[in-house]
Amino acid sequence: MEYNPVILQGQHTSDDEILARTPLDAKALGGDSSEIIMELLQRFKVRDVMKRQVISIPRKATLRDAQRLMRDNRISGLPVSENGRLYGIVSVNDIINGLDGCWMDEACESHMAKNLVVLEAGMPLAFALRYFNNYTYGRFPVLDSDRKLVGIVSQRDVMRALLYELSVEIRKLERKTSPKGDQVRQEAKENFFRKEWAVVHNDLSRAGHAANAIKGILRERKIDRTIVRRVAVAAYELEINICIHSHGGVIVLLISDDKITITAKDRGPGIPDIEWACRDGTSTANDWIRSMGFGAGMGLSNSKRVADEFTIQSEVGKFTKVVCVYNIPHAQQAAEGGAQA
Amino acid sequence: MTITDVVKILDGKLIAGDASSPRVVGAVVANDLMSDVLLNDADDILLLTSLASDQSIRTAHIVGAMGVVIHNAKPLSETMIKVANDLAIPLVSSPLSKYDACVRLHDAFVAEERA
Repeated sequence: MEYNPVILQGQHTSDDEILARTPLDAKALGGDSSEIIMELLQRFKVRDVMKRQVISIPRKATLRDAQRLMRDNRISGLPVSENGRLYGIVSVNDIINGLDGCWMDEACESHMAKNLVVLEAGMPLAFALRYFNNYTYGRFPVLDSDRKLVGIVSQRDVMRALLYELSVEIRKLERKTSPKGDQVRQEAKENFFRKEWAVVHNDLSRAGHAANAIKGILRERKIDRTIVRRVAVAAYELEINICIHSHGGVIVLLISDDKITITAKDRGPGIPDIEWACRDGTSTANDWIRSMGFGAGMGLSNSKRVADEFTIQSEVGKFTKVVCVYNIPHAQQAAEGGAQA
Repeated sequence: MTITDVVKILDGKLIAGDASSPRVVGAVVANDLMSDVLLNDADDILLLTSLASDQSIRTAHIVGAMGVVIHNAKPLSETMIKVANDLAIPLVSSPLSKYDACVRLHDAFVAEERA
């Protein structure tokens, strides 16, 4: 008798299709997840972090064989597989039950777990994290699009890869933002403040929470109320833009001694004609977006209008990045903000 | 004209926010397009809109509005009411049309100036 692994997600699914079915969920990912983590969780696939050398055992092997293999290799779960096909998993529990019930000399196929939850190699890492959250299993077998067993992934593998990549990304960021190095000291000297918010594609119920939070932060820091309003307007317009036009992105607030910077960066279709897109009244929004009070083609021009410096970069099929900079006059910065901004 | 006055003038109900808010209406903006509202530089705006969604509340917060009126007695979602309470934006539901609400507010302003 052969057992088919249960595959929760469809076969032969492309990465894009998986992403389309599971838009980034900021809440599930922790709301204020950093830009880097969000990017990594989407950019990296299960295949990038899984162990490729899978130790497995054939169906007819005994539980005792399995126990030895697990002991010698210090693993707590052993896939039962033949010619790349996955039939089940023998866990430590199955071994304990075998010792207890005296059936250690029986075949693995009689006692292995057969209803398996598996990951696909092409799934984004965000998917794997959700699986670890949703199920109590410590590891998942990984299949390719032909349903062949190609790896196994544990929480430890995910965390190790994430930590490594994070350290790489942070080094890159430090080099980018501080060509002279010693960024940390410089930031401390400048009373540097940075916070970012994930923006989820098409989630208009949450769109605006970053802008509202930014306004609150600036008011708490007693920034002049007219500047607060201008910053909040750009943050809000850009947040809505990411929500309705991209595949998801981030809004980053950066406050230094004399500047406030709002950066909106998304993954998405990009803008083929930036000049056209920045004109008042030009929009590619659909009726649904218009019914929500947006999509009149004023987002970019509004953001430009309220900022002291406005830059936009975009690459079709990849990203759009908008940066709005506001100068804080020192006199204003020291002044007490109005009661209501 | 405080939010309590607005409720009376528009035969409305205060659905969220503080009835005792001392803020007074600085300008009335009647608009369903939130980008248009964001363009406005007036202070203490009273936003009149038929957009019964979280976004009208969030927009009101961004521009520092003193209150939001949803006209035509449009049904208000629980999340919208929650956002209004969270952001401390008084939210009023009025059975009047946008035009009638504007006329009444205008008349009330004229009467206020004369008094």
